[in-house]
Amino acid sequence: MATLSIKDVRKSYGSVQVLHGVDIELEDGGFLVLLGPSGCGKSTLLNMIAGLDDTSGGDILIGGRSVVDLAPKDRNIAMVFQSYALYPTMSVERNIGFGLEMRGVGADQRKRAVDDAARLLQISHLLDRRPANLSGGQRQRVAMGRAIVRDPELFLFDEPLSNLDAKLRVEMRTEIKRLHERLGTSIVYVTHDQIEAMTLATKVAVMRGGYIQQFADPRTIYERPANVFVASFIGSPAMNFLPGRLVSDANGVRFAASGVSVALQAGKRPVDSERPVILGIRPEELKAAGRDEASVTGVIDVVEPTGPETMVTVQVGEQSIIARLPPRFAGRRNEPIFLAVDPASVNLFDPGSEQRIDI
Amino acid sequence: MIESKRRRRVIGNIATYFVLATLSMFCIGPMIWMFLTSLKYEADIVTQTMQYIPRRVTFDNYVAIWTQSGFPRLIANSLVVTFLTVTICVATGTLAAYAFSRFAFRGRTQLMLGYLVVRMFPAVMMIIPLYVVMRSVGLVDSRFGLALAYTSFLLPLFVWMLKGFFDSAPRELESAARIDGSTRLGAMVRIVMPLARNGLVASSVFIAIAAWNEFLFALMLTTGQGSRTWPVGLQLMVGEFQLPWGVLAAGGILSILPVIVLFAIVQRTMVQGLTAGAIKG
Repeated sequence: MATLSIKDVRKSYGSVQVLHGVDIELEDGGFLVLLGPSGCGKSTLLNMIAGLDDTSGGDILIGGRSVVDLAPKDRNIAMVFQSYALYPTMSVERNIGFGLEMRGVGADQRKRAVDDAARLLQISHLLDRRPANLSGGQRQRVAMGRAIVRDPELFLFDEPLSNLDAKLRVEMRTEIKRLHERLGTSIVYVTHDQIEAMTLATKVAVMRGGYIQQFADPRTIYERPANVFVASFIGSPAMNFLPGRLVSDANGVRFAASGVSVALQAGKRPVDSERPVILGIRPEELKAAGRDEASVTGVIDVVEPTGPETMVTVQVGEQSIIARLPPRFAGRRNEPIFLAVDPASVNLFDPGSEQRIDI
Repeated sequence: MIESKRRRRVIGNIATYFVLATLSMFCIGPMIWMFLTSLKYEADIVTQTMQYIPRRVTFDNYVAIWTQSGFPRLIANSLVVTFLTVTICVATGTLAAYAFSRFAFRGRTQLMLGYLVVRMFPAVMMIIPLYVVMRSVGLVDSRFGLALAYTSFLLPLFVWMLKGFFDSAPRELESAARIDGSTRLGAMVRIVMPLARNGLVASSVFIAIAAWNEFLFALMLTTGQGSRTWPVGLQLMVGEFQLPWGVLAAGGILSILPVIVLFAIVQRTMVQGLTAGAIKG
């Protein structure tokens, strides 16, 4: 177990800079998810923590010890790869024990450690097999066994679930969470799947173009996204964005656009009336309501019942938004619909910088 | 309708087999002929009427070449030179191929291309400068010198072949090994080499056969019995006024025996190596 500090870490390939001064602090036993679209630099950052890639600047500390000049084997870390990277010529037992073998652990002790890890991951019956004779889920478990058997200070996961089918992915996700809670080892986990980020992380770093867009706990990321990119990247269906303006009058501050009038909880700061803003509302924060309590008025475009809920696409003025409504929603296409919004749940963004505005 | 389709297929098959049989005969025929000749008496070799199957069988030719011409020495030299060539190629070529496959360094592409360019020059062009160099360092007429000369044109081939095999071994495996406690070299030896084993065997056999059969360099760079290899020795047996056909044929048969034995041992591995990646494994 250890803390992880990433301080102003940069990476360039020739004249191309792919990471621009990344700062991250992870608490002891924390679960950090690096989240972002492909090419955002998250895997590069992970490889630099592992020592597989050199840093071009900055410092990385694991348990308070700077590791940038250490070889991967001296960093006391373990890594699970997207392709699992099991050694094809070795049995499962030897695969799991390889790290111990390399560190000169005796055969008896190694056997005991491998057996313990195998029992924890329920793969004891597979120890004699070769990786080629395992299913995807089993390979995944072996890869995790290889990581936990060494009892490292830090686990690194590089998109470990992306090669599994949907059902297995959910299962293994739960398994990883259980493992983390049981072992208490700090984890850095790279993914582009926001559900994995939300379910697993204690801290999420949302990345784009080599910059950290927001670094916070999952709840904050979801409820108070730092900018339009984070807001649109997290959540499915994505957050609705409505361009409009702020209006400040005797009744308080509200957001106004064609078909929309949302009362806002204003703070103490004065508000520029008529300031153009973008309003962000999560689909589940929209509730079907009566005409007089409605903040949003529109026309139903598409109704998609999914079972536990109904997705309703609503045309509001020029804009199209999605509302997540109860399963037995009865509206039909082209009917008018009235939606209420909890003022505490909305987000405001600046149309120019796309950054969050707190009023 | 069906009948004519079947007939056409039969005719197609016959044509295919005819072509294949002809080509096979073309390849194997000389070897069979050489073998038969090696079993004949000298008087039965050059005759008025062609004698395909020997009427009388003798092993005198084999005895003669083994005892009277220093042939064992030639074979021993060839074995030593081949062994040295393969050893040098494997030791240096494996590291070079791994570096080309895994590291991005300045001039990497140019160097690889340079390796190819070396092979575009005819051997005759290389041989005179090589001779001068070898003479100035005192390596003319030495088995080690000859092996070095072979390395000069076989190593690039070896590196190119092996690089392909290394390229197909996933990099993540080495990353995993390095995190598990290996050094870079350790990861190469423990993880990558076993995966590229078939390729390594195939490339090495290729090098071994090329070195074993090489003639021109051996002719130029060896002058005495001490380092002469069998292709040169055999050629020198052709005298101005006499051609000992039986003895030459026996020498030929003896000299391809090691190659056949080598093939028999590694053929399965080698075929796997040469077809690696051809089908999804």
